[in-house]
Formats: sequence, structure tokens, C-alpha cells
Amino acid sequence: MLEISNLDVYYGDLQALWGISLSVEDGSVVTLVGSNGAGKSTLMQAIAGLLTPKAGSITFDGLRLDRLPAHRIVKSGVCMVPEGRRLFPRMTILENLEVGASTARKARQETLGWVYEVFPILEARSRQQAGTLSGGEQQMLAIGRALMSRPKLLLVDEMSLGLSPLATQSIAQVIKGLNESRRLTILLVEQDVQLALSLANKGYVIENGRIVGQGDAKDLLCSEEIKEAYLGMGKAG
Amino acid sequence: MHALIQTLLIGIVVGALYGVVALGFGLIVGVMKFVNIAHGSFIIIGGYVAFWLFTLLDIDPYLSIPLVMCAMFVLGLLLYQLVLSPLLKYPRAEMRLDKSLLVTFGVTWILDNAVTLLWTPDTRSIVTSYSGSTLDFFGAKLGVTGLAGLILAVLVALVMHLLLTRTYFGKHVRAATEDAGAAALSGVNVQRTYLVSCGIAAAMAGVAGVVIVSSYSIAPSGGLNWLLTAMVVMVLAGEGNVTYILPAGLILGIVQSISTLFVSSSYQQPIALIIFILVLMFRPNGLFARVGR
Repeated sequence: MLEISNLDVYYGDLQALWGISLSVEDGSVVTLVGSNGAGKSTLMQAIAGLLTPKAGSITFDGLRLDRLPAHRIVKSGVCMVPEGRRLFPRMTILENLEVGASTARKARQETLGWVYEVFPILEARSRQQAGTLSGGEQQMLAIGRALMSRPKLLLVDEMSLGLSPLATQSIAQVIKGLNESRRLTILLVEQDVQLALSLANKGYVIENGRIVGQGDAKDLLCSEEIKEAYLGMGKAG
Repeated sequence: MHALIQTLLIGIVVGALYGVVALGFGLIVGVMKFVNIAHGSFIIIGGYVAFWLFTLLDIDPYLSIPLVMCAMFVLGLLLYQLVLSPLLKYPRAEMRLDKSLLVTFGVTWILDNAVTLLWTPDTRSIVTSYSGSTLDFFGAKLGVTGLAGLILAVLVALVMHLLLTRTYFGKHVRAATEDAGAAALSGVNVQRTYLVSCGIAAAMAGVAGVVIVSSYSIAPSGGLNWLLTAMVVMVLAGEGNVTYILPAGLILGIVQSISTLFVSSSYQQPIALIIFILVLMFRPNGLFARVGR
């Protein structure tokens, strides 16, 4: 579904990603694991069109995404829930959702019904300004806004950032539900490595802008290296 | 009492005009973080287009408004494509503000000289059969052109408000105003939203030009004064707060007008600038901003 090959991304003269190759299968949940500054969010931004790669390609269902502007990428079926949620705080919840439907206006009412079904609280507060919502509710709205574009692939960047454990759990349940009931393909970047790997089928490990490992999420979760590096469960001493 | 009503009426009429003058300017600052110094020149050009249509084709200035708006809309698109869009490569809003200030200052020079070449440096105004007529309003006199300007201002502000709150395009504009990157990630074509906003801003400058040339007069060098007014009104309303621009214009107009009861009318401009400075010092987010936000 999503194929990335030999991707190099720069911030100005500074190279941030080195020859990244990965693939996301239709209907799967894939996660990127790595420490802060490893390049996970950079990769997400490159896929979503906020950064233009210098070399390599990003292909989605046969379409080259790497030269398209962000809004065209959304139209092709790839939508990102950005880090820090980035809602429009002075607009109402309904208006935030409507902006999300920019590329899929015809089915707007139907999609809105579905998003309200997934997040009933958004319907109850639809006239409220987005800035007045709690962190967990804001994350629901950010996901809802992305769903309004009827994506085939959802990119979720740091969904648990700034959320309570309880809110994180309920968002994680929703992500799982969307994948299982709607067969929505999901690419997940998450600081909580255990949570990310428990949701995912497959994981890639990024270090210093390079992919240094990949495998079945369950295997990664049991791997000693992962435990040591990211889960704080290294061998004593 | 008559004097007070008369003064208030003048203030309302002038203030409504200030609102129209500032609407387009505020829209561009709010949405794109560009300061369009050429906005005053756009107003003057709008006035000259109406003047041309009136003298050459005998079209009534108020009936010519749709034509003026179309012409100015195109000019706004050109401004964006040729001058402003290259500045989008600067990611930070402050950098865009600085650069756009310089670049559009250059545009102002080109436009003002072009206007002088086309229409000579003479002051022009449109005098119609109804230009001097007045209506009686609780004993005070209200000029027909003033009333027309007031109605136009309310109409333009209302249409603008409906456009921003009720249409997809308006929601895209507001989303891009709050966070252009997030808007793009939600599927909004931000570049096109900017382009059309620029066209709309120029079209509104055109409306202001028609009101000015019908009620007052225009000259190629007059743009700067109107630009200053637009800046003061925008600061009163709060940056990016297009909805409050007409009320802010009315407040400025009424305060200026009432001041003539106490001091000479030649102090009107300094009074506007004093209000400008006071608002910047004590309410930098505008008169209508909620405290603590």
C-alpha cells in the first residue's frame, strides 16, 4: 500500500533521514520506534508532504506522493494526525471537522455521522470552540478531523503526548477499533514504545535517521535490545 | 442636542468608511501575515476606475461597484502571484511581515506613478445629480452619498462575515489563519485560499475607493493616508479579527467626530494616532480581545 524506498530528507543542509526504506501493508498497523530526534516525526512529515525529500520515493497505491503538495496527498487517501494535535482552537468542533472534509465534501454528512459514532462526545459539544476541550478530547477531534477526509492510510504522530494514561488508553482503543472494524491502515509514531508495539503488527526501529531494525511487533516487544533501549528493562548492572 | 446628533451622524458615516477601508487590509494581515502597504493605492485605483467608468461611459458610481470589484479582484490576484507568493518561502510570520512591508512599499511607488501617468496628479471626484442632496434625520442632515457609503459598509461587512462563517471557503480562510500547516494537512489548498483572499481584499479596497470618490475626492498621492487609517482600525479590531473591523472603524470615526466638539478638526489625525498608540500599549490584541487569552 505504502512503499518508501531510499528516502533522504534534509532540513536545509542538515541531513535528517538516510536511505529510509519501509513498506506498510494494506489493513495493517505499523509503528516506528526510536528515541527522541531519531527522525520518526521527520519521516511522517515527509509522507504527509510538509517536507520534500531530496532523494528516494514515496509511493501510495501506485501514486508518487513525494512531489505532491500536502492537500493533494490528503486527497489521495493519506491523512496525518499531527504531533501536538494542531487544531483550529478558535473554530468550533463542527467547523474543525468540516475543514477536515475539504477533500471529501460529497460524503460529508455520512462521514460526520460516522465520526460522531466513533467519538460521541464531539457531537455533544459540536458548537463548542475546539480550544476549550481537554487534552484527550482534543486528540479525539484531531483524529476525527483526519477521518473526515476518508483516509485509506492514517498517520498518527505522537498520539499520547501530553495525555493522561486513561485518555491514552481510550485513544489507543479507538485506533485499534478503526483498524479492526474499518480495516483502516495505520502508521503510528509513539513515544510509549510498549503501547505502540502492542497495537502494531509490524515495527521499524529508527536510530539517527536510519532504519536499524524491523520485524513482527510481538517479536520486537520481546527483543532484549528493544527492552534495553526503549522500555527501561535492561539487564541489571 | 442637534449638534451632538449631527456630530454622531458624521462619525458613524466616516467610521463606516474607515471600516471598509480596513477590511481588505485586515484580511491579508490576518490570513497571510503580509502587510500590504499598497492597500491605500488599491483604494485610490478603485476610485479612479469608478471615475473612469463615470466620465467615459456615464455609469453611476454605485452601479459600477461590481465592475470595479471585478477589476480590483484581478489586480489582487496579480499582486499575490507576482509579489506576495514568492515570500511564502519564509516560514516565520515575522519574516513575512518584514519582507512584505518592503516589497509592497515598492509596489506602492510603481502603482502611484502609474496612476499619475494615467489620470494626471489632479484631484478627482465624481459629482452626480444627487451628490449634494441631504436627508433630514432628527433635525440633523445626512448626505445621500454618506448614507449610501454607510449602507455599503454594513453590506460589505455582513457579506464578509457570512463568507467567513458559512462557506467552505471561509472556513478554509479561518483555518489557514489559525494554522496554515494544519490546514494543509487537513486537505485545504492553502495557496489557493491565499490567492482568492488577496483578490477579495483588493475588491474591498475597490468598494472603499468608490465610496471615497463619490463622497470626497481622490488624488494619486492619497493612498498613504487611507493606509494609515486602515492600520489604526486593524489594530483597534485586533490582528486577524476581521469580524470586529467595522465596529472598530465606527468607534474611531465617532471618537474623532466627537473630538471636534472640543478641539479643532485639524487634530483628527493625531487623535487617531494617539488612540492607536494607547491601544498598542494597553490592549495590544485589540479592543475586543478577551482578557487573558
